[in-house]
Amino acid sequence: MYRKQSTAIFAVVMVLVLATFAAAETSRKEFHFKVGRRASISIINQYGPISVKPGPGKHVTVIATLYSDKVEIDQSKSGKRVSINSHLLEGADATTGRVDYEVLVPGDTNVTLRSTTGPLHVERLYGDVIIEGNTALVDVRDVSSGHVHIKTLNGAITLTNVSDAHVEITSVSGDVALNTVNGSLVHVNSSTGKIHYDGDFGEAGDYSLTSHSGDIEAIAPYYASIDVVARSVQGKVENDFPLLPEHTSFVPRSGSAFAGTMGKAASSVKLLSFSGKIHLKKR
Amino acid sequence: MTCEEFERVLPELGSGHSNELEEHLKSCLACSDLVGDLNAISQQARLLQASEEPSPWVWKSIEASLQQEGLIRQPQQERARTLVPLLGWKLRWLVPLAAAFLVVFGVLMHERRGVQPELAKRGTPPVGVVTADLMPSEDQQLLNTVAARMPSMRDAYEANLRSVNAYIRDAEQSANSNPNDEVAQQYLMNAYEQKAMVYEMALDRSLP
Repeated sequence: MYRKQSTAIFAVVMVLVLATFAAAETSRKEFHFKVGRRASISIINQYGPISVKPGPGKHVTVIATLYSDKVEIDQSKSGKRVSINSHLLEGADATTGRVDYEVLVPGDTNVTLRSTTGPLHVERLYGDVIIEGNTALVDVRDVSSGHVHIKTLNGAITLTNVSDAHVEITSVSGDVALNTVNGSLVHVNSSTGKIHYDGDFGEAGDYSLTSHSGDIEAIAPYYASIDVVARSVQGKVENDFPLLPEHTSFVPRSGSAFAGTMGKAASSVKLLSFSGKIHLKKR
Repeated sequence: MTCEEFERVLPELGSGHSNELEEHLKSCLACSDLVGDLNAISQQARLLQASEEPSPWVWKSIEASLQQEGLIRQPQQERARTLVPLLGWKLRWLVPLAAAFLVVFGVLMHERRGVQPELAKRGTPPVGVVTADLMPSEDQQLLNTVAARMPSMRDAYEANLRSVNAYIRDAEQSANSNPNDEVAQQYLMNAYEQKAMVYEMALDRSLP
């Protein structure tokens, strides 16, 4: 009798689980493209995460999980350019229009991602990475030697271990965190979002972290080699480093501006905010 | 019609030719050439280069209007009598120069007077505070477009536009106060870049 009861309960549970899956109506689609060197892939996905990682060989593999039949995948390939677009049908919303993408690409692929909600993740590539998201969280890590251009309205942006890159980030109110990021050009333009940099500013780079009212915090080691200018029109400015003074076009005022060099001044660093606080910290 | 009669009515040629005049022009080579020469002079006169010096009556009429407006005064008679040849030469070059300077100065003053009330109306809101009535009409149109395509994003776009507009306002003030400050110019460029990005994302990217 006890065994019959257990069996009955198990059967009910299984039925319920299967019913849940049926109700979700998720479907999975897989696409494979053969590409050459320096291929490019563009993915436009209104709702849902996109994750791009390196894969074997010269193939692009796209695995899409659709959450309803109110969205379809439009895909095309022209030469070395692959295009994937989540096409929302009538009545689709953030839940029914969601598609999750997992993408494997050759390491030298140029990647362009556009999404409203995201999140968006790219790792271990050495091609160009272009990302646009409204509220999407953006995470880029272990990328090198390419252009990294990221734009969000209020999605937070995190870059980790990005080297020898040309980095341009614009976000209105998303916080921006750069951890071990260096390159010939690293520009961050924020309005109200905070900017956090933790790195050594590399060599021969042009670093510009600017905001309207977002606070800027830059953490550097004692051996950083920089020519730094920091200025806040209405905010407070702090510096933990002993700087060699240099000639500037403005008068450095304690608490609102400072300028000077450290080491061999290999990289140029500008920390500018209109009303946010600026702090150059020693690690 | 004789040639003498034709020359008498020549000044009235501009108002139209009568049949008699036409007949005479067809039959008389001299009068036809005369009309041709007069037409050529008329056309050339329109192409007169600016560098060619106008006749003295042009300068005199400019001088007269400047005197009427009280911008220059009639020199004293005695001095004028003795210095007329010298001053006359100097005035010939000074008057158009002075007229050009006054016109430019007047335009600048007019523009400055026009801008100041506008700035005064706007006032100087504190940093970070955006008042509702400062949203330009283009921004309103953009928000209407966003609302039509994706209603759930409208509030986010409005909040971002207000942040960016506050940025632009502060940056413009800073740049106007310090026109030679490179950093102030940088703030302004960054602020505009942010605005451009918001528009681009709203109209082109990410929306279906």
